[in-house]
Amino acid sequence: MNNFGANKLAERVIQAELCSGCGACIDLCPYFRSYRGKTAYLFPCTREEGRCFAYCPKVEVDLDGISRFLFAKPYDGHPLGNWRSIHVARAGTRLKRQPFQSGGTVSALMYFALRSGCIRGAILTGRKGLLPVPQLVTRPAGVWRHSLSKYTAAPTLATLNRAVTAGHEALGVVATPCQATAVAQMRMNPLQKSPFQDPTALVIGLFCTWALDFRKFEAFLAERVPLQDIVKVDIPPPPASVLEVYLPGEKREFPLNEIRPLVPDTCGYCLDMTSEFADVSVGVLEGQPDLNTLIVRTQRGEEIVREAQRQEYLIIEDMPGENREHLEWAAGNKKQRGIRRCMETGRLNGEAGTACLRLTAEVTDRILEN
Amino acid sequence: MSYLIDEGKNASHLLMGNEAIVRGSLEAGINVAAGYPGTPSSEIIECFSQVAKERNLYVEWSTNEKVAVEVAAAASFAGLRSLCVMKQNGVNVASDFLLHLASSGTRGGMLLVTCDDPGALSSVNEGESRLFAQLLEIPLLEPGDFQEAKDIIPWAFALSEKIRNIVMVRSVTRLSHASGNVRFGPLPATAAKAEFHYSGPLLDPDTGPMIAMIVAAPEAQHGPQQEKMKRAAEIFETCPFNTYTGPAAPELLIVTSSACSLYSREAVSILGLTERVGILKLATTWPLPQRLLKKHLAAAPQILFVEEVAPTLEDHVKVVAAEAGAEIGGKIFFGKKSGHLPSLGELNPDLVLAALSRIFAVPYEGAPAAFSGAVKALAARYAPPRGMTFCPGCPHRASYWSINNAVKLDGRGGFVCGDIGCYVMGTMAAGFNTCKTLHAMGSASGIASGFGKLKQFGMGQPVMAVCGDSTFFHAAMPALANAIHQRSPFTLMLMDNRGTAMTGFQPHPGSPTNVLGDTVPALDMEKICRAMGAKVEVSDPFNLEKTRQKLNHLMEYADGAKVLILRRACALSPERRGKKDYEVTVDESRCRGEDCGCNRICTRIFGCPGLIWDGEKKVSRIDEIICVGCGVCADICPAGAIVRKEIA
Repeated sequence: MNNFGANKLAERVIQAELCSGCGACIDLCPYFRSYRGKTAYLFPCTREEGRCFAYCPKVEVDLDGISRFLFAKPYDGHPLGNWRSIHVARAGTRLKRQPFQSGGTVSALMYFALRSGCIRGAILTGRKGLLPVPQLVTRPAGVWRHSLSKYTAAPTLATLNRAVTAGHEALGVVATPCQATAVAQMRMNPLQKSPFQDPTALVIGLFCTWALDFRKFEAFLAERVPLQDIVKVDIPPPPASVLEVYLPGEKREFPLNEIRPLVPDTCGYCLDMTSEFADVSVGVLEGQPDLNTLIVRTQRGEEIVREAQRQEYLIIEDMPGENREHLEWAAGNKKQRGIRRCMETGRLNGEAGTACLRLTAEVTDRILEN
Repeated sequence: MSYLIDEGKNASHLLMGNEAIVRGSLEAGINVAAGYPGTPSSEIIECFSQVAKERNLYVEWSTNEKVAVEVAAAASFAGLRSLCVMKQNGVNVASDFLLHLASSGTRGGMLLVTCDDPGALSSVNEGESRLFAQLLEIPLLEPGDFQEAKDIIPWAFALSEKIRNIVMVRSVTRLSHASGNVRFGPLPATAAKAEFHYSGPLLDPDTGPMIAMIVAAPEAQHGPQQEKMKRAAEIFETCPFNTYTGPAAPELLIVTSSACSLYSREAVSILGLTERVGILKLATTWPLPQRLLKKHLAAAPQILFVEEVAPTLEDHVKVVAAEAGAEIGGKIFFGKKSGHLPSLGELNPDLVLAALSRIFAVPYEGAPAAFSGAVKALAARYAPPRGMTFCPGCPHRASYWSINNAVKLDGRGGFVCGDIGCYVMGTMAAGFNTCKTLHAMGSASGIASGFGKLKQFGMGQPVMAVCGDSTFFHAAMPALANAIHQRSPFTLMLMDNRGTAMTGFQPHPGSPTNVLGDTVPALDMEKICRAMGAKVEVSDPFNLEKTRQKLNHLMEYADGAKVLILRRACALSPERRGKKDYEVTVDESRCRGEDCGCNRICTRIFGCPGLIWDGEKKVSRIDEIICVGCGVCADICPAGAIVRKEIA
């Protein structure tokens, strides 16, 4: 793979406004920090190679290399990536009703994984005001404080890096697609550090069409609602096309057309709607705001899902074929949009250190033809 | 008792040029001296303060140079002898009042002493104060050596009283800060009585009010002022400090002044040209003594001007030569304009030697190349390679660390306007290249006030400015008032290190004692800023994260002008010197060195001289000799390898 140092990362990703603020480069060193959803590069580093560049999901990402590492299969450009099974899911009967986002599948799985010892810590994202604040949670009950969607970029992986440095092992991570890609690259030990141990035991990926720029989103809402009173923010699945803001005793709706200008440019380069490099991926089931779509991708993901189902922490059912087809259609559209954007801006393949993505012509054509 | 008031008969002392100026003033019976610190002028007020009680002087460090001239002018108006002193940049600040003072005139003898800094060794620029004499229409004197630096002062006071106007005396770094033997003269009795007479007729120089006329016809004051200059020019024709050495009819005449006269003498002597070259050393460089000049110009076919910074003598003497062309004939001129001497920087004997050897085609070889190479090699061996940086434990380094981080984290392209003080190094690697503008004292705040109003043109970058505590009083307050009044949203970081640190901890209006050691009211900058209407926060710059958070908060949320006072005494200040708060060590087992994850952030970026990189072990170390134990580096280290232990 093509790896470079922090200066190149700052130039190619941060200055080029490709950074999604995932936090993968943060807390590995003192040079990268996160502030209000953005990654800042404080001082120049002279190293020619660094973990920061190797982990970044926005530069020199070798999708085929990641796929072969995680799934022992080549990356073939399928709209949903590699998967073992796809389900409709929701939190099980063992759990009291909590302030879940939609079906509560993510919270239920993390709660179960912590409680059962499958993982010994969970990297989750809570919020302070509107600002997403990642945290390491080691007690199952702590999961409920982080169960709502944020819709803005969060430096979740900075907390993962910090936890790894502090010696934590067998961690669970709830990740957006770009974060799941970064975690996969971390697990590949790209700088061949020794000794090395995969710090994760479960990566739950979230479906994501885009995340909002925090500063712009905050400014948008500040003009319309009292920020301090916001209880919850939600984007219900299609056919609804609104952002819902819940205030005490009131729900305000804003058309997504007004929200989309707040989406950072970097989301336009993303090919991944369903967190293809997670162990399991979770999204809202279209037309059913209280149910989730659950994609099981890896063996370890499958084992945890089965055990959670057996112990009634999770309820899963078969997914209707119509829903799956529509999911593939939506995910395929995002893939096409992303790859076209990369091609238009010269960020697909090309000179070392300049590309967002590396893909063979064959896979590229397949994505565009799907 | 200070040697400066030695009254022994035929006493002689080794004095700096600045000390010689002080002794000359004492021999002239000076009563009042005021100034604002600035290298190379600062020793003058400090020396006056040492003898103030014995000589019944009033001495002060004024808030700025303009105020210093005003304070000294008041003494002159009351019939006393007074002096105001500043570096070349200070004359710019004082020039508004000076222009009016030159118009109203003075009573008691009054001198403006400027110490210029050719080569800008300790300045932002090598501004040329001599040009002010022409602009202000006041006489200018330039002593040529240390004895003359003393002797010319009583003569200058007498001249001021003869023409009833301020007289400018210009020194340069190599005269102010170098030393030479000076023979002392007698000190007068100290029994001056001050009284301001104002009841006489308007424009009466002895008894009328001292007024720069506001609507009078030019002839009311400007005419008399020009007459004063004519009188000065006449006196200058026989000034004992204008000297000529050399043959009666030299092949080349050097016209020079100030320390350049010493370089000229040395160069002429080394080349064995004393029988061919004459040196006219002028102490009275404005207005020029025309008859004296004509006499010497007539005797030589070639003229070389040796002077530093602007070609002031060169321009003015050429005018004299042109006007006298019919009498003295055509001349060949050499100097800055011919390229024989550089147009900037300090001169030295080697440069004058090079010019003379070129003009006379006399071969001259300076130090052999092998010798120069050996000197450089030795210097590299024994002197550590080190760029300009803040001292160990300097609060400014910590402040700029937090400011840089806050600006980068904010991520909206914010920038800091720099100002004058040790913290000018905010423009350099020592200050993490944080400051993006740098001009005059207080200008950061004024520029920031302007930037802050550009939002209507689409500028969304957060704007910040820095200034020191002395600079705050000197010139930043009016700019802050402007910003508050105009609702300009910038953040002023007031770096309060408890004194005018760069020039030697002179007191300012925020200090509890004055230059004489008296207890005085210390103006509270925090209360002033609040009273002016700014949102004010205070932080200890050694608390890096808190400082960063406060600045980010001010940048993000607060409207209008905001002030973040970064309060921490300079590590070299009298109250801090020699005191260590922490014993600092490096745990080598935890130091990450050059690895990914650190890459020597402490020695490569933070750059405190108290931190050393051990190239063999590949770890950082503490230089226990120069570490002042501030402990800030412990907060920089990402691995917790730098350990600080509080000293009880």
